[in-house]
Amino acid sequence: MTVPAHQPRATRAPVIRALIVAALILAAAAAMALLSPEHLDPGASRRLLGALLGFVVAVYANAVPKALSPLIETRCSLARQQAVRRFVGWALVLGGLAYAAVWLVAPLDSANLIAGSLLGASLLAAVIRVVLARRGAPGSAAR
Amino acid sequence: MTTVFRALADPTRRRILQLLRAGPMNAGDLAAGFDVTKPTMSAHFAVLSAAGLIDGTKRGRTITYRLRMSVLEDALLGFAQGFGIQIAPGAADTATPLPED
Repeated sequence: MTVPAHQPRATRAPVIRALIVAALILAAAAAMALLSPEHLDPGASRRLLGALLGFVVAVYANAVPKALSPLIETRCSLARQQAVRRFVGWALVLGGLAYAAVWLVAPLDSANLIAGSLLGASLLAAVIRVVLARRGAPGSAAR
Repeated sequence: MTTVFRALADPTRRRILQLLRAGPMNAGDLAAGFDVTKPTMSAHFAVLSAAGLIDGTKRGRTITYRLRMSVLEDALLGFAQGFGIQIAPGAADTATPLPED
């Protein structure tokens, strides 16, 4: 994938950052596969990868409230849009951190279930908040 | 990140951010809640904008400000506000007033 050189720097920066993060995730997975099982216990490898995924979710969710749409494109109340973004950001950051924490400390047998449930619950809360905001919007036209 | 700490270190700027949590406001309405001069308020807005914590959009003669904080920055604001601490030593300055135009 190439980034067109004519794009402004501000437009290219998020794409480049996303590519770097994707490369780091793949590199981490490859490193764990190489190190396991001689140098790294398979259980520890699973824990690290789970924690890494949780941190990635948290890092991306951290930026959700910072992403603003241009005022001219905003069709719903700005206050409501801001409140929804903040809620979604907080819910997913906490969900991602909880996912990572569970993978680091919970027993391996149940880590997947507990971590998945926590992240799923935070995602569900975020979706419900968005749906409620859309329903409550004047003429239900909230974006 | 230093600019964020510097911006959050001042109580007036933290109060501006708290007001903006309720929703976007124009500069005049925001300034009405503070006992400071317009140039000083403009300087505070400039510091917050430079730190990327607020976004100002000019519409005619008014500037509408809205919050532009990540979750981490939001948490830092809550932390600084809750504990009343100065997170950047020596940074809780009074903003240098901008010249009035």
